[in-house]
Amino acid sequence: MPHTAHQKYLIMIELTKIAKVYRKGTEEFQALQDLSIKIEKGDFVAVTGASGAGKSTMLNVIGGLIKPDSGTIKFNGKDIYYHNSRETVEYRKRNVGFMFQQFHLMPYLTVLENIKLACFENDQLNNIERFLEKCSLSPLKNKYPHELSVGEKQRTAFVRAIITNPKILLADEPTGNLDPENSRILMTLVEDHHKKGGTVILVSHDPLTSQYANSSILLEKGRLKK
Amino acid sequence: MAYRSEGGYYNYSACENRNEGGQFIKNFISCNILLYSVNNYYPYSFYNEKEERKMKITRIVIKEMWYRRLTSAVILLTVIVASSVTVAIYTLSKASEDETRKIMREQGLNLYIFPKGTNLIDFYSVNNTGTFPDNYVDVLAESATFDAVRHLTGILQIKYSDWKDSNGSTHQIVLFGYKDEAQQKYLPAQEIMGFDVKKGTVQVGALMAKNIKPEEPFVIIGVDGKRYSFTIEKRLEEGRGMMDQGVSFNLEDLQQVLGMEGKINKIEALGCVCKDGRIKNARKQVQSIFSDLEVTEISSIADARENQRVMMNKYGAFIIPFVVISCLLITALLFYQNVNARSCEVGLLKAMGNSSFTILFLFLFKAFILGLAGGVIGFFLGDMIAEYFGKEIFSFTAANIKTVWPVFYYTILIFPVLWMLSSWIPALIATRIDAAKTLSKE
Repeated sequence: MPHTAHQKYLIMIELTKIAKVYRKGTEEFQALQDLSIKIEKGDFVAVTGASGAGKSTMLNVIGGLIKPDSGTIKFNGKDIYYHNSRETVEYRKRNVGFMFQQFHLMPYLTVLENIKLACFENDQLNNIERFLEKCSLSPLKNKYPHELSVGEKQRTAFVRAIITNPKILLADEPTGNLDPENSRILMTLVEDHHKKGGTVILVSHDPLTSQYANSSILLEKGRLKK
Repeated sequence: MAYRSEGGYYNYSACENRNEGGQFIKNFISCNILLYSVNNYYPYSFYNEKEERKMKITRIVIKEMWYRRLTSAVILLTVIVASSVTVAIYTLSKASEDETRKIMREQGLNLYIFPKGTNLIDFYSVNNTGTFPDNYVDVLAESATFDAVRHLTGILQIKYSDWKDSNGSTHQIVLFGYKDEAQQKYLPAQEIMGFDVKKGTVQVGALMAKNIKPEEPFVIIGVDGKRYSFTIEKRLEEGRGMMDQGVSFNLEDLQQVLGMEGKINKIEALGCVCKDGRIKNARKQVQSIFSDLEVTEISSIADARENQRVMMNKYGAFIIPFVVISCLLITALLFYQNVNARSCEVGLLKAMGNSSFTILFLFLFKAFILGLAGGVIGFFLGDMIAEYFGKEIFSFTAANIKTVWPVFYYTILIFPVLWMLSSWIPALIATRIDAAKTLSKE
């Protein structure tokens, strides 16, 4: 169904004929090919597919970490890779929050310091305590990552990802290392963020986490499977 | 009391206090000067935001250094080794130079300028050497073409055959009259090496002093038959050659005693202590100004010390760069390893929107801190090493091994910069890390 002008305004992310090839010596691997997707503001999209389908690549392309070989990615109508790399970095800083399967917390910073690392404005610093409370991390704010459980680490990573109030939350297998109970807790927090208007793109093999999404995309060999 | 307005700027309640009459004006002016400078140079939001970010970045560096303290300690050690070796060798070289200068001072300066045709044997045994005007020294010092020798001191040296001590015994002594050392006009000023004797006083040699009771003045009969009395300013230590049996005067005093006003019979000078034939230059230069003078070089123990100094400088010229470069290479490797170990951290920082400059800063600032700390520690350690080895191995006198403070300022400037340079390539590699790749690693 063609989008009206109003609906076009609601489209936050638009991928058009995206292709990405990885090269190693003479070998080539087509990670994405001819991928076109539209994601509306406030969507919670689950990206599924077999290993090597291009899910993480798609996420990184949207996050401004990988420049595609061809095609365009627009955020609120603006091509994120059109301008210089400084503007792409700025786009990522102000609009994107990342969560990873491996958490990637700085081992020598406390919970509080790991979250502060993402902040670039004072107002964001002022919100930290509230988020810590919400995620049951307040008693742990001065602990180091090696002193936390797996669930606590991922909740810390979640707070770090959303503390800047990003327009898009990109989560790459966030529950991959969590048990079912911690997965449920984390996904409740993600869903809560979505309900407050956040756009979430989540890559997951887990069908349970995909249930939280309101739409899904299936990738196969770098293409959208209809 | 300061408070922040809605606009984010500092205000100061005392500036608004209108109830203190004249005090208000003083407060008003000083407060507003303060507010102006704080708000215009450090607006609250910018200052605090920037201060917070700065604190975060430097805090990251320091915390990471502590977290990976073994690597940090090894890098610190490389700086300490490099700077201590550099400082130790430089300090010893300086001590050697000072030692050489001291020996030359004690042995006499190493060049003599005499009237042409003077026989040195005659000079030391009889008094029939020629004299020349004492203003020759000033002429040489003011000559733009005369630069082969330094520390020109005009001297009148005479054997005095019939000096009587307080017991009535007669002795043959040597009298030295020293003109103030002339500073050469066209060369940079240097520390005075010549003998400095105040008017009305004398300095008495060790053997000579045995014949004069303590507290007694030195008395001598002049050519005019008058009795001249001088306060003994110093009784010199033994081992000064002919001066042991001599008395040193201010030149004008001795000229008056001997009736030889305006006359000297030699100039002592310090020629360049090197092997490139500058003594020939000295001879040529002196004779181009005064054809009735000639230059004689006195080889001395100073040559041996000078050889030692040259050898030390040669070793130093090899050892210092070798040690410093080796330490820099080790540091570069350690930083490269550090970059690899932190690839995920770097990827994360990039994912969070930190620029390449921030990534570069993380590594360069770490290198700077370690370079600075190591440079300071190495300076004091090198100083201690110089003192120990200088006394034990090179037999320098302890007093000559001095802390060379100007080197400290170079150390705290050069070593941080060098260590930042050594981390430059690893830091650049860090900026090129593919964040997507490192963060996707399992």
